[in-house]
Amino acid sequence: MMLSDEPYRWAEAVSNRRDYIEDQIRSGSPVVGVGYEDGVLLLTLGQGQQKLFEVYDRIGLAAIGHSTDIEKLRQAAIDMAHSIGFNYSEDDVALRQIVYFGLGPAMKAGFDDVVRSPFLARILMAELDGQDGEQIFYTVDYDGAFYRHEGWAVAGGFHEADQLMGRELSDLDTTSLSVVEAIGGALRAWAIGRWAGKLEEIPTDMEELEQMVSKVDIESALKDELRDLEVEAVVLGRSLSGKNKYRNLNADEIAPALTPFQAD
Amino acid sequence: MQLGGDFVDLLRQTGYRFPGENITSAHSEHDLPFVPTEGTTILAFQYADGVLVAGDRRATAGNMVLYDRADKLIDLDAYSVMAISGSPAIAFEIARILEHAFQYHRRRQLQEMSLQAKLRRLSLLIKDNLPMAIQGIGAVIPIFTTFDLQDNRGKIYFYDALGAQFESTDFTTTGSGSPAIRGAMYYLNRWSGRRFSDMDRDTAVGHALQLLDTASEYDSATGRYERSSDIFPTVKTITASGLADIETEELRQLHVQYVDGEDSP
Repeated sequence: MMLSDEPYRWAEAVSNRRDYIEDQIRSGSPVVGVGYEDGVLLLTLGQGQQKLFEVYDRIGLAAIGHSTDIEKLRQAAIDMAHSIGFNYSEDDVALRQIVYFGLGPAMKAGFDDVVRSPFLARILMAELDGQDGEQIFYTVDYDGAFYRHEGWAVAGGFHEADQLMGRELSDLDTTSLSVVEAIGGALRAWAIGRWAGKLEEIPTDMEELEQMVSKVDIESALKDELRDLEVEAVVLGRSLSGKNKYRNLNADEIAPALTPFQAD
Repeated sequence: MQLGGDFVDLLRQTGYRFPGENITSAHSEHDLPFVPTEGTTILAFQYADGVLVAGDRRATAGNMVLYDRADKLIDLDAYSVMAISGSPAIAFEIARILEHAFQYHRRRQLQEMSLQAKLRRLSLLIKDNLPMAIQGIGAVIPIFTTFDLQDNRGKIYFYDALGAQFESTDFTTTGSGSPAIRGAMYYLNRWSGRRFSDMDRDTAVGHALQLLDTASEYDSATGRYERSSDIFPTVKTITASGLADIETEELRQLHVQYVDGEDSP
């Protein structure tokens, strides 16, 4: 008997699937994207494993979730971008296309196919100076739902975590921040997302969650995390010469932003 | 397990066929319905800081000048330039595939393609082009120049029409004007008292302009500085800090000094 023959069982199966996926993703390391004066920055913390990726000349990808699932989606995005870039032109490669026609439908299909494992990942992609805007981000959820953001975007372990993280970024003027200021803002947002992901019980009431987060000491939380984790950050910078605008930031470039969070 | 990461494989999956793969009937050069376009003289040599690569701007079809602004030096990545002689259509296709292949490889495999692999990719594309070359409509004889950061020196490779690859230690030149300057390059390097590899940048650029001018003197298919439209040959350098174009104003000054000047060094 097909699950879809019984609406209740179908809804229950979808709900179970959501719970399973969210449980798997929740405790991962969030990813943050924020604009700055020269372009956009992507940032996360990890144990040396690469989590931020170059997709095309002006497009980068970050994700929270299962590394092999992220890898499949990353490769699909790169394949799509390069096919378009070769057959049309570099200027025709747009993040919007990759999300609308590529990652969105792929993740939706993975989520709907109840006899196969879904993509355990939430994706955050950034685009610099595309047809869609100057500092554009798209997030694609594990069920294929995607959202466009301007200026900044985050992908934490669950929706409420995203909202809390966003509060650290929403007041920033992303067109005038220095790269160090952008890293600082991104780190604070990351710390909130990380804190939320580590909660044993997530309150169903957003107000309760907000009260809890207001008591978090972000500086000391980050200090603790930086003992075990390294900051990984990349930029899409318009001042980089040549067509390719993607570049890893090295430790010396990141260091000034870490000073306020350094252990004594 | 899927190997992945090869750009030409990706293209083939989407239905792409390299031009030579589509040829089914045999022609000889003499019964072609058109005269194929060809590029002309390119050269490269080692100078003090790395590699210099230069090309004239003329594209011809038979005895017709088709275009006098052709750019025969194609950037493939931050450290590699392919200079083309032969059929521009195929050469630009090869360059476009390689440019995407190098970037695709780095992005997908999370590491730069090695120099040996880059050379191999180019060689394979020239081999794939064999049907076009045999029929006399699409042979491409490129020069591949790069700066090898591991060895900390510039490198020059040239190819034959079948895709065999050779590394040149000092200099190389290909294209219709190359016979006119190959000997001059040897002479300059061996007997003039100053090897290319000892020349500073300006001296190297000046000599490249002189050599292309020499080629154009004896080969009608090679262009020289076009006074009426102010078009100079293209010259690039590749050093440890990457690719650099020699800008028009600098070419103008060096052209005055080395080619027009009576007291050219």
